[in-house]
Amino acid sequence: MTSSTCLIFTCLLLGADASPINFSRDILPILSDNCYSCHGPDEKARKAKLRLDTREGAFAKSKSPGLHIIKPGDASKSELIQRLITTDEKELMPPPSSARKLDKNQIELLKAWIGQGAGWGKHWAFETPIKPTVPISSGDMRISNPIDSFILEKLGAEGLRQSPRASRETLARRLYLDLTGLPPNLEQVDSFINDTSPNAYAKLVDVLLASPHFGERMVWDWLEASRYADSNGYQGDNERTMWPWRDWAAAAFNDNLSFKDFTTWQLAGDLLPKASFEQRLATGFNRNHMINGEGGRIAAENRIDYVMDMSETMGTIWLGLTFNCCRCHDHKYDPLSQKDYYQLFSFFNNTPVDGAGRSAQTPPVMEFANPEQLQKKKQLDSLVGKLQSQVGELENKLFPRDKGKSASDSESAKGYSKEVRDILSKAAGSRGKAQLQQLAKAVEKSKPELLQILNALIKSIDERDNFAKSLPLVMVMEELPKPRETFILNIGNYEKPMAKVGVAVPAVLPQIQKDTPLNRLDLAQWLVTPENPLTSRVIVNRFWQQLFGTGIVKTSEDFGVQGERPSHPGLLDWLAVEFQESGWDVKHLVRLIVLSETYQQSSKLVPASAEKDSANRFLSRGPRYRRPAWMIRDQALASSGLLIPQIGGPPTRPYQPPGIWEEATFGNKKYVQDQGENLYKRSVYTFWRRIIGPTMFFDTPARQYCNVKNSRTNTPLHALATLNDTTYVEASRMLAQRELLAAPGNDPVVMENIFRAILSRKPSPEEVAILSAAVNRYQDAFEKDVDAANKFIAVGKMPASKEIAGKKLAAFGTLALSIFNLDEALNKE
Amino acid sequence: MDPKIQQSLLVNRREFFGKQALGIGTAALSSLLAKDGFAAASQNNRLPDLPHRKPKAKNVIYLFQNGAPTHVDLFDFKPKLVEMHGKPVPDSLFEGKRFSTMTGNPKGKVMLSPVEPFKQRGKSGSWVSDFLPHTASIADELCFIKSMHTEAVNHAPAISFFLSGAQIPGRPSLGAWLSYGLGSESENLPSFVVMTSISKGTTCGQIFYDFYWGSGFLPSKHQGVKFSSGADPVLYLSNPDGIGKNLRRAQLDDISKLNEIKLKEFADPEIATRIAQYEMAYRMQTSVPELTDFSKESEKTLAMYGPQVREPGTFAYNCLMARRLVERGTRFVQVMHAGWDQHRSITTELYNQCRDTDQPSAALVRDLKQRGLLDDTIVIWGGEFGRTPFIQGDLGNRPQWGRDHHPYAFTIWIAGGGFKSGISHGASDELAMNVATDGVHVHDFQATLLRQLGIDHTKLTFKFQGRHFRLTDVFGKVVSGILD
Repeated sequence: MTSSTCLIFTCLLLGADASPINFSRDILPILSDNCYSCHGPDEKARKAKLRLDTREGAFAKSKSPGLHIIKPGDASKSELIQRLITTDEKELMPPPSSARKLDKNQIELLKAWIGQGAGWGKHWAFETPIKPTVPISSGDMRISNPIDSFILEKLGAEGLRQSPRASRETLARRLYLDLTGLPPNLEQVDSFINDTSPNAYAKLVDVLLASPHFGERMVWDWLEASRYADSNGYQGDNERTMWPWRDWAAAAFNDNLSFKDFTTWQLAGDLLPKASFEQRLATGFNRNHMINGEGGRIAAENRIDYVMDMSETMGTIWLGLTFNCCRCHDHKYDPLSQKDYYQLFSFFNNTPVDGAGRSAQTPPVMEFANPEQLQKKKQLDSLVGKLQSQVGELENKLFPRDKGKSASDSESAKGYSKEVRDILSKAAGSRGKAQLQQLAKAVEKSKPELLQILNALIKSIDERDNFAKSLPLVMVMEELPKPRETFILNIGNYEKPMAKVGVAVPAVLPQIQKDTPLNRLDLAQWLVTPENPLTSRVIVNRFWQQLFGTGIVKTSEDFGVQGERPSHPGLLDWLAVEFQESGWDVKHLVRLIVLSETYQQSSKLVPASAEKDSANRFLSRGPRYRRPAWMIRDQALASSGLLIPQIGGPPTRPYQPPGIWEEATFGNKKYVQDQGENLYKRSVYTFWRRIIGPTMFFDTPARQYCNVKNSRTNTPLHALATLNDTTYVEASRMLAQRELLAAPGNDPVVMENIFRAILSRKPSPEEVAILSAAVNRYQDAFEKDVDAANKFIAVGKMPASKEIAGKKLAAFGTLALSIFNLDEALNKE
Repeated sequence: MDPKIQQSLLVNRREFFGKQALGIGTAALSSLLAKDGFAAASQNNRLPDLPHRKPKAKNVIYLFQNGAPTHVDLFDFKPKLVEMHGKPVPDSLFEGKRFSTMTGNPKGKVMLSPVEPFKQRGKSGSWVSDFLPHTASIADELCFIKSMHTEAVNHAPAISFFLSGAQIPGRPSLGAWLSYGLGSESENLPSFVVMTSISKGTTCGQIFYDFYWGSGFLPSKHQGVKFSSGADPVLYLSNPDGIGKNLRRAQLDDISKLNEIKLKEFADPEIATRIAQYEMAYRMQTSVPELTDFSKESEKTLAMYGPQVREPGTFAYNCLMARRLVERGTRFVQVMHAGWDQHRSITTELYNQCRDTDQPSAALVRDLKQRGLLDDTIVIWGGEFGRTPFIQGDLGNRPQWGRDHHPYAFTIWIAGGGFKSGISHGASDELAMNVATDGVHVHDFQATLLRQLGIDHTKLTFKFQGRHFRLTDVFGKVVSGILD
């Protein structure tokens, strides 16, 4: 155990009074919150030339004789303290007008810290993580791996206890949804419940990690972070074809591509030696930013916006830092300067993109074709070539001439117009389609054999071109041969360059050791070096967030001084180093987390847990929160059997109320709903229009900028969606239909099976009573109004079975709809 | 009868509060409701330190004119411009300034006189051109700010700047800040509603991006609820085919009963919130159709808003809806109207634009006034910037005359809510090019607006990514000269 972690633990055990004060944990947040906006890293905002973010600044001599700003060991000789407690309003700090104020405890803490020698240090997240010793736990708690030891240690300190393990049904549903985004079906639940082997749970984890749906689930959060969408955003909002990148990313999770490669390929795959197709495709990541094609938009301004977006997205995703503040000025809290920002910007400043135009396929682009498509493309190409040479040969016969002369010189060409002779003067292979058409018209009567083959050639060219157009073009990265110069931009304004800067990573972080000029690949590789204090922490924290709903660092988007400190610092560092040591193995990390007893706890609230751990930051119980809207939709499709589980492909357009795109774009964009299978593919494939996102998803980021933390709200609008959207109504009646056909005449079984299909468990007797009464009421209602029943069972495109009476189907369908809307169905439990 | 009371009677109270038997008392329920922006008790869900001062107004109706109306032709009369018609733009007026790429460098462009005559209106003598006869007739109610200026030259960044204080998308919009800070006054309706429209026959409309009413980093419950002109004004409002009102009520009762069991077993307070939100959804299903039912409006009122008032999706319809929303407790109504981007249609499409907006805007102010609502409702009319006093296009080709984007001086008007009426504040120079006196920056406008609602713009903040963000960034001065 390192000395610093030792201190933290001692401190936790003994309480703050007796233990040495930790600068980064106890003092830095006070200084940062209250002092740094005027006495911090931002030189321009600095008052009285005083800075408190460095040891030199803070320990300097005061202007008042005999005093230092901070005198280690002597609070009475430290002006800092005097300024905090003075009654003179002119002297008091922070100034009363600033609305900032230290409370008594904070001032006492500062005094005590100075008394103890004013130990100085770095912000915790800038120190390289070192794997701490796993705490030794005593008692009868369940421990599956070191995660539990860290969690239990803190629970013990807080006087809390681990919750019991969740039921098998609950665990099955939790695990299936967490790892694949799809619920288990009844057979899958049963087989897990009936598996009495001691490693039944671990076996299930491995099965799910190997499922092709794992990548579809994991990629969703990555798509939000990568601001992936199927259109440009802004005026025009042209459709793009970046989906092969989306499919690549999902496949990378399935193939368990090391996160190291996942990082370097996406940021700089094009710069790897002999870059493969996939490595170049991966760089589409950087090009997922919006493109502003508004009329009158200045290209140079756009270009700067795009480079800023690429740099800041990288900064948030890998470093967890809020670089965007530094567009305009030095960071107010974190030791990041405006110069740091533009040095980082310069890594991304060298693509050929110039910011002009609104094309959703702005070069550099690469054509995406699967092996069959490549084969077909070759065939079409060679057919065109073959026909071109046939035309040439035939023209040699039809337009005899001396060697070295062209067909237009032939006697036989005399009768044609100058234009046609010009065409004839060109080699058959170098004529455009329009020229070929003109020629065909000219020879229509005179040379029918030539006409025939010209027509065949025109047709083959059409086929080839149409096919090429059907292949998606993915925007990717390339480097200009000569890098652009980068300047600090005054308040981020593209028109106001100031000092020229080089290429470098932020000064506060370990530097890249290399003599030759740095490029994007160096940056990407630097992110995943063991010395980098941030990347591994930031990444494991987000996978944790994905599984527990909240990160160990709650502010997963900000690991800077103003971010929240980790709830379990030792655990975060242990996981970060473990992740690195495993070779940045994502499946290993996810497996560790879900195998922990912490993850397997029941999410029921017990009184102690409710009182001392209401937000569950100590994890005294399992996580319980509303699932993301996309998962709720996928669950409805899967439980009802409607889901088409096909992996990958172009975006789909499922049910959406009419007129949404049209109203937002004055009719320029028409939503043409898909038919057939595309209605039932997973949510991850739904077409994402940036200016007006899919309406069936709530609480989702707009995919305009990088987003690593979602909001989770609870509003009536969400209830309206899951109660009334066609998707849910159709899924409900199809689920009812399946179960009614499976157990004809046995209503109690049908009812139970519908319930189980959605919630993976059997209803309790109390619930059965409510459900039976409910379905009877619904039947009565539809009995009285058969017309309504027939309308209900016609919602959506799937035909209703003729074998079941409409009113019965409608009643059980309504029951399923009620169950789909239960809190339990919407929640992770 | 007060529409708020009338509406709450519509929802059968016994149905709603009959839930007591299930274990959630009315008091508990109403405090739950108060949590989520659709609150029952109006005081409960505002931030504890608000209001910072006694508010002068409760509600805002922002008639946002997308595309940027031409101040030169509508409000900002300059005799010198008439005189200079066809003469080149004086260099001194544009040097060092940035224009959209459509203008590039204004050098060599010629000045374009307003195309319709101006007159002084009412007792106040405010200048309004013949383009806007109805607005002219309420000039004494209006506070014109003739010295607005902004920083962006393109639509989306400039609109975003007005509505969220930042040019780049992603900050909370004005309405979201108010919902976050002041909470909701309505039991049945969202506190922040957005409606959009475009003039008939317009060829160039600016798209309405949803970040214009986004919640940015505030909780997403504060984002504007976009009412559409389609069958359901609120997304997914209607029951599915075949599910009638009674059956839906039965369903919700069943869902509640089952959720109650869960709540007892799990004790997760979010379950109680969910139960309450499902009830709210039901109430909205009743209250929204009542809101959109104009049958109780008098013929006189309807006629005042003009012939398009019965047509959902028109500006006139949205103006009347705005009044009805404010009456029912919605705090912020953002009515956005596109089509003001007259790059080559000053002599053509501008007439349609005015025809569709002039009468309803004036009617709204009158209607609010006659109902005594104007005192605590602020009505704002304006776009994201102005238009160039010089021409875009060819002086010889009148049907194609146009004006380009112009952020350096333009006009907006405000009515009600404790703003002075019948005044013109600030001025542009003699060619309406640049601010001459008492410039009002976008952040100043925002600071002033917040003040009237009882908010100190420097104190309504939200901590995100380590910084305390606010609507006015680190700028903004209250413009006291326009306040009563």
